[in-house]
Amino acid sequence: MQGNLAKLTLSLPRTSALRSPVRTFATSAARWQAVPTEKPALMKEFKIYRWNPDEPEKKPTLQKYTIDLNQTGPMVLDALIKIKNEMDPTLTFRRSCREGICGSCAMNIDGQNTLACLCRIDRNTGKDSKIYPLPHMYIVKDLVPDLTLFYKQYKSIKPYLQNDNPPEKGEFLQSPEDRKKLDGLYECILCACCSTSCPSYWWNQDEYLGPATLMQAYRWIADSRDGYGAQRKEQLQNEMSLYRCHTIFNCSRTCPKGLNPAAAIAKIKLELAAD
Amino acid sequence: MSASILLRSTLPKTFASTTGRIVLRSALQVRHGSSSTPHYVPGGPIYQGTVNDPTTFPPPSKTHGSYHWAFERLLSAALVPMTAAAFATSGTAYPVLDGLLGISLVMHSHIGFDSMVVDYLHKRKFPIIGPVITWTLRTATVGVLVGVYQFNTNDIGLTELIAKVWAA
Repeated sequence: MQGNLAKLTLSLPRTSALRSPVRTFATSAARWQAVPTEKPALMKEFKIYRWNPDEPEKKPTLQKYTIDLNQTGPMVLDALIKIKNEMDPTLTFRRSCREGICGSCAMNIDGQNTLACLCRIDRNTGKDSKIYPLPHMYIVKDLVPDLTLFYKQYKSIKPYLQNDNPPEKGEFLQSPEDRKKLDGLYECILCACCSTSCPSYWWNQDEYLGPATLMQAYRWIADSRDGYGAQRKEQLQNEMSLYRCHTIFNCSRTCPKGLNPAAAIAKIKLELAAD
Repeated sequence: MSASILLRSTLPKTFASTTGRIVLRSALQVRHGSSSTPHYVPGGPIYQGTVNDPTTFPPPSKTHGSYHWAFERLLSAALVPMTAAAFATSGTAYPVLDGLLGISLVMHSHIGFDSMVVDYLHKRKFPIIGPVITWTLRTATVGVLVGVYQFNTNDIGLTELIAKVWAA
């Protein structure tokens, strides 16, 4: 943006000298334009995890990129997009909404799983910023993890309303209190930040469902309109699916949406124990 | 030259258009020559069924699920007043308390160690070491239980021992 402006002002004297007086109107207007205040360059180093599946014999590396924070948006996603646009088009990452509602840009930034679009760049230029993909996942490329199993697990808890006795007329009615039970559960965007921050999920993700899926399981157990609560609970009655949760609380600490999966898991445990 | 370009440009398209990822995966798998497991990519994840199938659950069992959890929680909670009681009284005067404390402590640590075995050395991942460790733990627990019983009946008992060590 600023580069283009500079180019424009540079080319102005030449055009005004060569063009006829008819065109002076346009050039003089441009000359009166306010000059953008020049901010000093604030160079910050980003170290980004790189791995290319086309070169499987090469080990993953951290690649350094230095960008001017004063020419970048405030969020880490802005920096990533800037790097991809201007420095290295091979850098691969997922992003979509850039406002924390799609969950695509979940990654590990400075040791914390979060959404790149909701994570401000640390403006301390003395320290570099390290960006890794979500930990302990199979990597498709660079910052893109393979979330297939995560989605398969989500599917396994049947995340939809099941009820054999729908109301004869109209819709399901729900009391405000019952509706309130779903607050803090339905807002989950399935970015997988919590599940991939959970050590239990790291070691046993093939059997343990993980905090994100378990919170959604509870979302449907808690729903007053759902008629399959007993079956939903019975599914979890085994050693691995639910009880690999050892209340580590990494999930609640890392959630970029400020939700509390650990509390939802605790409520499932309580409901199962009370059964 | 033109033929290779044509090949290069059409190959990915046919892969992408037919069934996308699975075809790519199986192509990779054929290249690596492991045809026994259908969707295995060396170094990659192993999925049961296709990418659209949900994961399955083990057969439900309350003994392994909620009963185990509730027992473990209640036992942990019970240990707090029991330890306090053992601290306040003397083991020789209340041998029953000493015995209960001995059993509960050993059970509590057995469940804790067993949880570690399930977490890190589960038999689905460690078909030999897993069961060996599980049975070692069980033998050790039984051994310790017998030892604590002997110690409590024939010697000074747990509480007295700790009091002695504390004072020493």
